[in-house]
Amino acid sequence: MSIVLVGLNHKTAPVEVREQLALSEQACAESLHAIVDGEVVREGLIVSTCNRVEILAASGRERGAEAARRLRDHLSANARMLPAETFNAHLYTHADEAAVRHVFRVASSLDSMVVGEPQVLGQVRRAYSLAVETGTAGRVIHRLVHHALRVAKRVRTETGIAASAVSISFTAVELGRKIFGSLKGATVLLVGAGEMAELAAQHLASAGASRLIVVNRTHEAAVRVAGKFGGEAVEYERLAQTLAEADIVICSTAADGYVIDATMANAARAARRNRPAFFIDISVPRNVDPKVGELDNLFVFDVDDLEAVITSNIREREREAERAELIVESEVMQFQQTLRDLDIGPTVGALREKLRRIALEEFARKRHRLGQLTPEQERAIEALLVSAVNKISHPVIHRMRRSYDTGEDENVQAWRDIFGLEENEEK
Amino acid sequence: MKPLLYAALAAYVVAAIHAILTFVTKRRSLERVTTGSLACGFAAHTAALIVDWVQEGHYPLFHLHETISFLAWTLVVAYGLAVYRYRTHALGVFLLPLVSVLVLISNFALGDEGRHVGRITEGDAAWLFPVHTTLLIFAYASFFVAFAASVMYLWQERELKQKTFSAVFHRLPSLTTVDDIGTSAAAIGFTLLTLGIITGVVWSSARNGHIWHNDPVEFFALLTWVLYLTLLHYRTQWRGRRAAWLGIAGFALVLCTFIGAFVLGGYHVFG
Repeated sequence: MSIVLVGLNHKTAPVEVREQLALSEQACAESLHAIVDGEVVREGLIVSTCNRVEILAASGRERGAEAARRLRDHLSANARMLPAETFNAHLYTHADEAAVRHVFRVASSLDSMVVGEPQVLGQVRRAYSLAVETGTAGRVIHRLVHHALRVAKRVRTETGIAASAVSISFTAVELGRKIFGSLKGATVLLVGAGEMAELAAQHLASAGASRLIVVNRTHEAAVRVAGKFGGEAVEYERLAQTLAEADIVICSTAADGYVIDATMANAARAARRNRPAFFIDISVPRNVDPKVGELDNLFVFDVDDLEAVITSNIREREREAERAELIVESEVMQFQQTLRDLDIGPTVGALREKLRRIALEEFARKRHRLGQLTPEQERAIEALLVSAVNKISHPVIHRMRRSYDTGEDENVQAWRDIFGLEENEEK
Repeated sequence: MKPLLYAALAAYVVAAIHAILTFVTKRRSLERVTTGSLACGFAAHTAALIVDWVQEGHYPLFHLHETISFLAWTLVVAYGLAVYRYRTHALGVFLLPLVSVLVLISNFALGDEGRHVGRITEGDAAWLFPVHTTLLIFAYASFFVAFAASVMYLWQERELKQKTFSAVFHRLPSLTTVDDIGTSAAAIGFTLLTLGIITGVVWSSARNGHIWHNDPVEFFALLTWVLYLTLLHYRTQWRGRRAAWLGIAGFALVLCTFIGAFVLGGYHVFG
């Protein structure tokens, strides 16, 4: 059998093209019905996300090229707004080993916009359950997807591909963990408000931070934000005192100068008896005096610092991705073997079974001539017969597998004929 | 008991290698190998110490090789406690190679068997001597843990301040955790050191009436004691970086105590 994959992703197609193709679940199911005919395309699966649209198909042997053409035509037909030639330039087609590799890489998020982001795995899972519901997932797709999920898990646990944060808010959480260990029970102080600051506060809260204090120059705004996240609002005038209570301070105001200066921070530090504090300054111009960061046990990160951490985290992920590629490569090899067994397996099984049956039947026929035998002796003779038959059939099976591996299907058929194996025996 | 000690050495080396591999590759599955082989090594080591004790007829903390072997044993105990309490294996990267080296040295340390045990084991308060040495060895193991925690603290603190993170950064436990480990280890070490000094003083005065012998070991031990006292007293003010530096200074003094005994000689002799 052949496996083909046709599609486009964020690397090959701009968003204007991708948005035209993006399919709803309903549309995916319809497309699957349209493509899978049981003849040229035996099995199908569609992954459609904002970053990629891909159709995966299993076809009969020698029908791969035909199947790929059908998938391409189907996609072009969906992208009516674009001329066919320009559209085809965005498409990639992978067959067999390359298709398997592509599926593994996608599931392991090696092909994602940000390497290591886990969303794609869920999307692959959904695509698979849709294919199962639609009835277009057969034994090839079952095995392929299950194997892909296993590869993704291996990559996740054996490499650090998803270990580091790549967004401002998650970087804040990660650095907080690095300083405080667990964030359970930590107090977060939000100075000013803003989408990013609120997002960071939210992530910190879900990481375990238990108390949120909001300070804003306009107290009503503080009350509003505090209400939204179940925190407490404190008057702006009391910022200096409140600072002593905060383990993590997120600053994002529109103020022109420093809202927190070194003297203030130092006083708060003394009141906190030197317990460490973490300042996240996401305002431009900066709200936290950089001198604060020179004090012992106080750690200040401004937007540029956070961006720099993110950049280095992405680089770290890419380094880990290289190790992930090796895992994918070895798994592709393994899957190819599975695939071969998948096809030749029933034939091999049928051959072994047939020979075994012949041997045992012959034994049963001549059994009476052997006189009195103990059950042990009887079992020993049976075992001996089976092992002799297996020894004889072993080179045959070996040759058969090799013929299959090299694609000499007529040879496989010849072996079948010689041993009189019928199609129905192999099921 | 040599074969047992060799077995312990082999197990410790395996544990140390896997601790480092876990650290480098972040593969948690290797931790189990570390834990397993460490447990085996510890069992063999304990057995070796006991067999030694029974065969030699004196507490296995007298000759040089015994002292070194016992120190390694206490380090394993300290590591076990730290892992149990803080669930962090990063300490193993410091401790386990040292344990392996110590056991190796102990295996090949030249015997000084000629020295007479009786000199120590006679007198009214003779039973205090093994208590004195045991307490101090445990104190030194604690100080080493505090030292390792201090190094981890300073390393991370520097990277956090400079905002450039090396690969090692992501593998170390959090600042608060290493600060905690350092402080607890220093407190435990200080308590043991105090008790060790007291038992030493009592033993010595019962033996010959002197409590001070103008000996480098006594001098450094007192200095170490004062330093850790200061550290613990100012614990809240000196939390973090300064505490970490003191942890390192304290351990340097401990090393001086050891080296002082060897180089300068005097009343105290290790081994």
